[in-house]
Amino acid sequence: MDLKIAFNPLNDAALIVIAEALGFYESEGLSVTLTREANWSTVRDKLAYGLVDAAHILAPVPFAAALGLGPSVGRVIAPLALGANGNAFLVSAALKARLEGETSLLGSARMLAREVERRRQHGEGQIVFAIPFTYSAHHFVLRHWVASAGLDPERQIRWVVLPPSRMAQMVKDGLIDGFTSGSPWPQASRLAGHGEVLFSDPDYWTLKPEKVLAVRAAWAEEHEGGTFALTRALLRAGSWACQGSNRDDLIRIMARRIYCGAPPEAVEMALRTVSGQGGSGLVLDPQIATFPWISHAKWFLGQMVRWGWLAPDHDFDQLARHIYRPDLWREAAGSLGFDLPLADEKDEGGQPRPWSLAATPKPITMPPNVLFDGGVFKCRAE
Amino acid sequence: MNVLIIDPDDARAALVAEGIRADYGGPDTHVRLGTHFELRMLRDFDPDMVIIACESPDRDMLEALQVANEVVPRPVVMFVDRSDDNATARALEAGVAAYIVDGFNPKRMASILTVAAQRFALTQGLRNDLSKAKADLAARKTIDRAKGVLMKSRNLTEDDAYKALRKHAMDTGRSIQAVAADILAVSGLLGGE
Repeated sequence: MDLKIAFNPLNDAALIVIAEALGFYESEGLSVTLTREANWSTVRDKLAYGLVDAAHILAPVPFAAALGLGPSVGRVIAPLALGANGNAFLVSAALKARLEGETSLLGSARMLAREVERRRQHGEGQIVFAIPFTYSAHHFVLRHWVASAGLDPERQIRWVVLPPSRMAQMVKDGLIDGFTSGSPWPQASRLAGHGEVLFSDPDYWTLKPEKVLAVRAAWAEEHEGGTFALTRALLRAGSWACQGSNRDDLIRIMARRIYCGAPPEAVEMALRTVSGQGGSGLVLDPQIATFPWISHAKWFLGQMVRWGWLAPDHDFDQLARHIYRPDLWREAAGSLGFDLPLADEKDEGGQPRPWSLAATPKPITMPPNVLFDGGVFKCRAE
Repeated sequence: MNVLIIDPDDARAALVAEGIRADYGGPDTHVRLGTHFELRMLRDFDPDMVIIACESPDRDMLEALQVANEVVPRPVVMFVDRSDDNATARALEAGVAAYIVDGFNPKRMASILTVAAQRFALTQGLRNDLSKAKADLAARKTIDRAKGVLMKSRNLTEDDAYKALRKHAMDTGRSIQAVAADILAVSGLLGGE
């Protein structure tokens, strides 16, 4: 079975890349060609026009496109997430100095509010933050953080979309005050002395959803067993990638020019969990970070409503299940002996300690699931 | 008509510009090129159409403008009727996307995009030829060095060394270049180079 998979050069494309490097696609009976893309718009268009069959994609993009926000992505399904976390927020040294003394996100947001007020009083320009795409977790995370201090992200902050490859230079040139992007780009800029990582994904949300694998629904329908084989190959790649003993190999493979093409030190730094050291806490363990939770889909949809891109009168459950396919994950993961979550949704947040998730044949010990502001996102109809 | 072309490959951008001028040359046609997209280009040049290479990382930047502003060029893929969007599909396949302002003539859009796609495909063909020529040259060098190893270690003539390589390649079902590379890899053990 032939298929083409598009990816962007980021650490969180690891499962797609590792499955190729280690031959998992072949052993699942798939003949895969990877195409490295330079932006998300092209990934979306290639899916829409059938030039690729599957893609590494920002989780909110299929929902935005399905709701008419921007061009169509065509009919796609997401049988698995490609891990959790992986983004970091880098600010200029000048802004970092203004936010000094506060380590929590709530604290740094309060300091940011002071800085916004100071700039207004002095007639200095607005704070400008860059994101890689409008409909992205990067954007939602920054808006949530900004709003936690009572700032209005719409009026009091300027947002620009920039390619991660150009963000660091713009921070250095003082054109933007900070940016969020997937690793290893913030780490590469930090190593180049362009700024400091203020916080990264796990500081915001310990297990934050980020990218998914989007599969063209028409390809899935025409290729009996194709999605099953593809999901298995990626889950196996995840099992390999999360082994500590494979970490050095993982870093070397991701840093290759045909994949991320970043310095190995930046890739290594990005895989650390502590943001003070530049880490972005990427979790690749397929048992805990690849299930396509309907509650994640609804959280993304909820963010689009919160920031005014979407009217609240949609059937979010139907929308979420149209794209996210936990049934396909269970089928593939079950064949590999994984424990299968019993529910499709869970509370997001409110678990400060490792906890037990109901699953079969045995429960899964999950890492903490907490948001920085203590909020709990509940979407289950009890 | 103002057309802005964004392409990290400036030679290819020039080729596209030349194609557009050939078809639409006239005092009203203005074409501007850039390796990067900058916001000020919209204000300074006011393009009716933007043509951008899919391999430009700046494409998402251009794409995002439509969310914030009404009077900017929008992606062509939003306008086309899916039953009649061959120009867009072929362009995407060739590696180029386009954005137009409201009211831009769809026929003209399709024909300009077709020109751009042809020029992109042409460049790709040239690139492929070049990388094949480079690969052929590298293979030639590998084979020559392996021949040298065989001539020295087995005291063969150049012709016999080549025949030995070819025979081994045929016997093992591999390319002569692969056999030559193996010989070079173990040439230290053979007491060669």
